[in-house]
Amino acid sequence: MSFVLLLHIVFTQQVVNAFFYEQYGKVLVFAGLNVLMFPVALWIYRRERNVRDEGEG
Amino acid sequence: MMEQDQEKRDRNGSRVPYDEDNYTHNIRKDNERNLDRRSFLKTMAGAAGVFAISTLPWGAIAAKYLVNPSKRTYPVKKLAALDAMKAGDAIEFVYPGEHDTALLVRLSDQEFKAYHNACTHLKCPVFWSKEKDELVCPCHHGLFDVHTGKPTAGPPRRPLPEIELSIENGAVYATGVKRYEA
Repeated sequence: MSFVLLLHIVFTQQVVNAFFYEQYGKVLVFAGLNVLMFPVALWIYRRERNVRDEGEG
Repeated sequence: MMEQDQEKRDRNGSRVPYDEDNYTHNIRKDNERNLDRRSFLKTMAGAAGVFAISTLPWGAIAAKYLVNPSKRTYPVKKLAALDAMKAGDAIEFVYPGEHDTALLVRLSDQEFKAYHNACTHLKCPVFWSKEKDELVCPCHHGLFDVHTGKPTAGPPRRPLPEIELSIENGAVYATGVKRYEA
């Protein structure tokens, strides 16, 4: 999960950088990646929650 | 015997429940559940969502530019008359906005170069040094090649943004800013 968040930070930084240098294709790629990362984060969260529920019985 | 039956109190008047010497009874555990594994992960997922949403406006603006690649238009501005500058001279001007200071250098009779003169290191103003034949940033001794705008020495690593020029009717005009690719 921390790794996902790290990727978010990196992608956001790349988006802003690419935008500054007017490389709009790159902006779209990283913005898309950033949006795609959110379901991944959600999936990890759900998986962890379910593991815990099972553990608690 | 009497002493043991009495409720024990420490120096601050707090009750000492057990006759123990490790003093763990005064550790408050009431807020323990506020930072358990699940809420931590929930916070992380929420932060991920914030990141995802925060990049959407950037993406939207970028998509707009990609779909409609209207080239930014710049005003045409007269900088100097040809006979007002000798070869090796430089003048300062602002273009396109009033805070975008720039430098026009006459290299030879027909060769002019103009760059935004904010150093790409820490935005110090860059000057034209006729003796050194280079653009000099006095703050940290950054040097730029006057023909290309590329840095040749010192801390700057990116070139100066170049301004497009045209020479018409005996005067130099600024017509635009070159697309910055670095």
